[in-house]
Amino acid sequence: MRSCIKFLSFTLLLFFLSMSKAWSEKVTVITPYLAQPGTQMYVEGFKAEASNKGWDLNIIDTKGDVAEVISRIEDAVNQKVDGIVINVDPSQVAAGLEVAAAANIPVVGMDSGANPLLVTNVTSNGYAMAAETSVYVANRIEGKGNVVMFVFDAFPPVQIRGVVADAIFGNFPDINVMDRITPDVQDGGIADSRAKMEALLAANPAEGSIAAVWAAWDQPAIGAMQAIEAAGRTDEGIVIVGIDANPQARDAIKQGGNFEASIAQDFVGIGSATANAIGRAMSGEEIKSKVIYVPTVLITSANVGD
Amino acid sequence: MNIMNIIKKYGTLIGFLSIIIFFTINLPTTFLTANNLINISQQISMLAVVAFTMTIVMVMNDFDLSVGSMASLSGIVAAVLFSMGYPIWIGIIAALLVGIIGGLFNGFLVSIIGILPFVATLGTLTMFSGFAFLVSGGKTIFGRDIPTEFSSFARTGLEITSLDIKIPFLSILALLILLIVWFILEQTIYGRRLYAIGGNTEASFLAGIKVKQLRLSAFALTGLGAAIAGLMYSSRVASSNPTQGSGLMLEAIAAVFLGMTMSEEGEPRVLFTLLGVLILGVLDNGLTQMNVDSYIREILIGFIVILAVAFSSITKRRN
Repeated sequence: MRSCIKFLSFTLLLFFLSMSKAWSEKVTVITPYLAQPGTQMYVEGFKAEASNKGWDLNIIDTKGDVAEVISRIEDAVNQKVDGIVINVDPSQVAAGLEVAAAANIPVVGMDSGANPLLVTNVTSNGYAMAAETSVYVANRIEGKGNVVMFVFDAFPPVQIRGVVADAIFGNFPDINVMDRITPDVQDGGIADSRAKMEALLAANPAEGSIAAVWAAWDQPAIGAMQAIEAAGRTDEGIVIVGIDANPQARDAIKQGGNFEASIAQDFVGIGSATANAIGRAMSGEEIKSKVIYVPTVLITSANVGD
Repeated sequence: MNIMNIIKKYGTLIGFLSIIIFFTINLPTTFLTANNLINISQQISMLAVVAFTMTIVMVMNDFDLSVGSMASLSGIVAAVLFSMGYPIWIGIIAALLVGIIGGLFNGFLVSIIGILPFVATLGTLTMFSGFAFLVSGGKTIFGRDIPTEFSSFARTGLEITSLDIKIPFLSILALLILLIVWFILEQTIYGRRLYAIGGNTEASFLAGIKVKQLRLSAFALTGLGAAIAGLMYSSRVASSNPTQGSGLMLEAIAAVFLGMTMSEEGEPRVLFTLLGVLILGVLDNGLTQMNVDSYIREILIGFIVILAVAFSSITKRRN
């Protein structure tokens, strides 16, 4: 008798479990970049929020293959999921987004770039990030001196950072952008930036001839810092700033040398904000803005340890 | 015919059918539908083209490891020409020419110079990849640089209104190439000679077969196939990336190996290669729909390839 009750309750439990599975909403997250630390943090934030919401979540890594993202979107649509999240340039997977649109399944971008086929894209404000670091530089050098910029205009998300920095430095009459360098990034961006900075230091031997280095991302800033150290000119007070606040940059900021500031994207926050956005879209809410910005944090020696 | 013989002959096919039955039971409403099958045919089309043309060199016991980088390079060449304002047909012809030339170069290294195919194509793999980076400046070419007529090819198909389905052009193209490769390998003297080379190079040479020329031309065909696949990929993603084809090579070789487990003497047959491609594609599609973790999916697929090949080599040895 007892075992009979046990069996019955077990079956009931299984039944309810399967029912709850059937009731819970299905969300698929597809990215080619799960191996990258930033993406892992997005996904971590997304997962946490998804488990709060009780979603049946499927995370798919296509390991760099963009065409496979389209295939997996098609599979998810076919599987009749309730929502899809992508973390890849939407214009390259438009073939899949059209399939999802035809099936009325909302797709939200997680730092993917804006696209009419996306409900919205959740990301950091690249303009604001560049504004914060360039204003930091301008204030630190009291609005005067020669500034070296490291930019990368071929990559749109980095290009917009350079534009903002140009505008801010241009607004200070005594700040002179002495060079606007596009480093070779094939080696990761540090080595070539260092070589370019070494050449610039050699060409400007006088103390104080370079007031600051503004880099559109952290690697060139690190390269510039290494060049300054190698040239023995760390005491001149050359201010270096980067963007992204990667671990190497945080380390440098912590040491309190020339590398003074960088700006951190809230990757986990982007993940959870994306989960909220897709949740709203799945419940039928119309999301008006095609871009949702998640605030960023300026990292200096004051808060780098937090 | 005893059971062992049936399993030996049809083991892989039985495996494939079990996979289909498994997914049909587990995904009753979404797997065995016309739409999903059409999806799968489109998803595997690029891999299929590479695998079909890879079969041509593998018939001679040769290999081409450079197909993935060739697929990247051909896509990049076309996209760069598009971005310079050349018409679509010029971009496509240039990309196909690059495929043929690259393939001929592979063939030259293997058959004229006499380098082992594994080593020669490993070298060209790196070279082609380097060219792709050089020509593109390391960038993904996308957006307005890619003409919509080019990218819409991969999004459209043959509408069959009576059945309310659309057969994608990518799938049709892959099917066409299957027919061509099948015809070349199975229905022409040229094909039979390739099989003869695969059976015994020395004997073929002594029998008067022009081994060098044939190997050279076979590699050219494989290169051409890789270039076609690269164009298909670029059309599908409406962009070209210098690393886009890198995943194709290993999967294509795996597909040919899976197919080889089905043939009598263990030689590659292009129709069996199709089955190998289908196994890989169906597994990808079905496991995704079942929410199986993508890394576990990868382990499973590798395991199944090993299982099939091991099984067939054990049963064949026993024979």
